[in-house]
Amino acid sequence: MRIICFLKAILDPEAPPGAIRFAGKVESGEVATVLGPFEGNALELSVQIAQASAGGFVAVAMGDAAQDIALRKALALGAERAVRVDAPAGFQDPLAVARRLKAAAEEAGGADVYVFGRQAGDWDMGVTAGLFAGLMDLPFAPLVQHAEVVGANLRLRREIAGGYEESLRVAPLVVSVTNGPLTLMRLPKVKDVMLANRKPIDVLQAAAEPSLEIAEIAQAQVTRQGRMITGDAAQQAAGLAAELRRFLVAGGGN
Amino acid sequence: MRIAVLAHLQDVGEAPVREAMGLMAQLGGEAQTLLLAPAAQPAVAAMGEVRLGVHAALADPDPEMAYAAALRLLGDQAPGLLLMPEGPLFEMIGARLAGHFGMSAVRDVDAVELAGEAVVLRKGAYGGKAYVRVRATGGVVAALRAGAFPAAEPPAGSAAEVQLGELPEGGQERKTVRDTAGDDLGRAKVIVSGGRGLGSAEGYESLRPFARMLGASLGASRAAVDEGWASPAQQVGITGRKVAPELYLAIGISGASQHLSGMSGSRLVIAVNRDEHAPIFEAADIGVVADWYQLWPHLQKALEG
Ligand SMILES: Cc1cc2nc3c(=O)[nH]c(=O)nc-3n(C[C@H](O)[C@H](O)[C@H](O)COP(=O)(O)OP(=O)(O)OC[C@H]3O[C@@H](n4cnc5c(N)ncnc54)[C@H](O)[C@@H]3O)c2cc1C
Ligand SMILES: Nc1ncnc2c1ncn2[C@@H]1O[C@H](COP(=O)(O)O)[C@@H](O)[C@H]1O
Repeated sequence: MRIICFLKAILDPEAPPGAIRFAGKVESGEVATVLGPFEGNALELSVQIAQASAGGFVAVAMGDAAQDIALRKALALGAERAVRVDAPAGFQDPLAVARRLKAAAEEAGGADVYVFGRQAGDWDMGVTAGLFAGLMDLPFAPLVQHAEVVGANLRLRREIAGGYEESLRVAPLVVSVTNGPLTLMRLPKVKDVMLANRKPIDVLQAAAEPSLEIAEIAQAQVTRQGRMITGDAAQQAAGLAAELRRFLVAGGGN
Repeated sequence: MRIAVLAHLQDVGEAPVREAMGLMAQLGGEAQTLLLAPAAQPAVAAMGEVRLGVHAALADPDPEMAYAAALRLLGDQAPGLLLMPEGPLFEMIGARLAGHFGMSAVRDVDAVELAGEAVVLRKGAYGGKAYVRVRATGGVVAALRAGAFPAAEPPAGSAAEVQLGELPEGGQERKTVRDTAGDDLGRAKVIVSGGRGLGSAEGYESLRPFARMLGASLGASRAAVDEGWASPAQQVGITGRKVAPELYLAIGISGASQHLSGMSGSRLVIAVNRDEHAPIFEAADIGVVADWYQLWPHLQKALEG
């Protein structure tokens, strides 16, 4: 099967509170740009489907050169080709993103399976895969946890409310990948990382008019004024047990 | 501007649909409620004047079926603003409908204003560390955060059934499997959640007797789900469950913003983490800097005694 895997690198989502400042714009300070966690899941699923079907995958990222770290990860894990759709960093209308990713997919000759992450982890959109499926007029299977290649088709396990669904789906189709033990990203070999660093990244120009713009960015406040239970383990346990008892006596509990 | 609400009553329940209808009424203009349902249930009758698409398969909809059903309900002219409750139907078809109609899509919306032909939507970003207002000019599908809008009293009127006809087969050999773990997280008054800091599946299991003592349900961080210690249905966070118990205990969880946004509605938060600088302590009412495995034996004794 031919696969196109769409990846985005983002500011480290685990950066501690305050490390990224939001006041009219995003001030990233010292925070590193990394592959988002669901991109890792998407990449792993792409590798699995490519291997199981004796096919291959192309990795596509849209953005500035900071996106190359995502593409190099994909190359190290066996991507045949890496394409960056050139665009400035910063907020992008997901519809305009999906339109440019569609142009890139067409340039790459199309695919049987278009693989997206569930959510990139910057603007918390979680909509790009669906938008892309709508633009391409292709079936869409969201929140895939596992894929098994069955001939020219895929048996997919998808997360649904309160459980999961399994079904055989016919390619071509668009999937978004969610997290779980079956899509944990494998680690590339050191040799492959070094080789990937020397491989070319094709840069593609594609334009799309945005219909969504940022009007305001502001910091959200989540902090609570906590207090600490101190002492040695036994003292801490006694203090915590007292709090829990107070809570239960006051009528808390299921 | 033409505004419509699109929802599947069964997958989100009545309240989020009424909230979407409330927002639509408040925004004014030409409004329409579109509902999908497996049958003309009594709950539908309570929603006032709606266009109702009925098909037995919508009891457990496949994404392809739900998509085809929604397209038939919407017709070929999309509204300028399509409101959907955040939930399974939006996940399956919300953004795809937007792409089909050339509209943009935004999720986790908690405020909406009309500004002439534009729509201004407020949503969370960076896992809840920030919020943004985005201005949409070319039509937008918005997924509304549950509880963010006052619910509407339904207007008088009754449902007009729309014939959906045959819906396409989606996946073949389709089966859905229920996962009872995490079932009760939504209504739990006490939740004990474990994270990567528990170190192993056995470590995560050590939360079970603790949870039993408190009558608590078990939740997990994404890392604990990735490790396979807990089921995806137990994941608390921005891409997991949003929970609001009276007491939330976070054990061995660092407190990444994406986890916090799933639990920030908890009344009392207690965190146990061996790193005094862990961000979870900034989101907790009571903090214990301790190694869970040194704390637990003492805690067990103290609670039993
Ligand atoms: C778009 C997006 C969506 C996401 N959605 C979610 C989501 O829904 N839910 C979610 O949880 N995460 C989500 N994440 C991931 C999130 O960023 C974190 O990676 C994740 O929450 C970390 O899980 P953790 O706290 O268990 O693990 P870690 O961050 O590894 O933390 C483990 C903690 O355990 C402590 N510890 C270690 N040993 C012990 C011990 N013996 N006793 C006590 N403490 C100990 C450590 O000090 C550390 O603080 C999302 C990320 C992105 C980008
Ligand atoms: N700029 C981009 N370049 C490549 N892929 C992207 C880009 N933005 C989003 N995606 C893909 O769409 C998924 C969801 O992103 P989002 O809708 O922004 O949360 C990501 O996990 C990626 O797979």
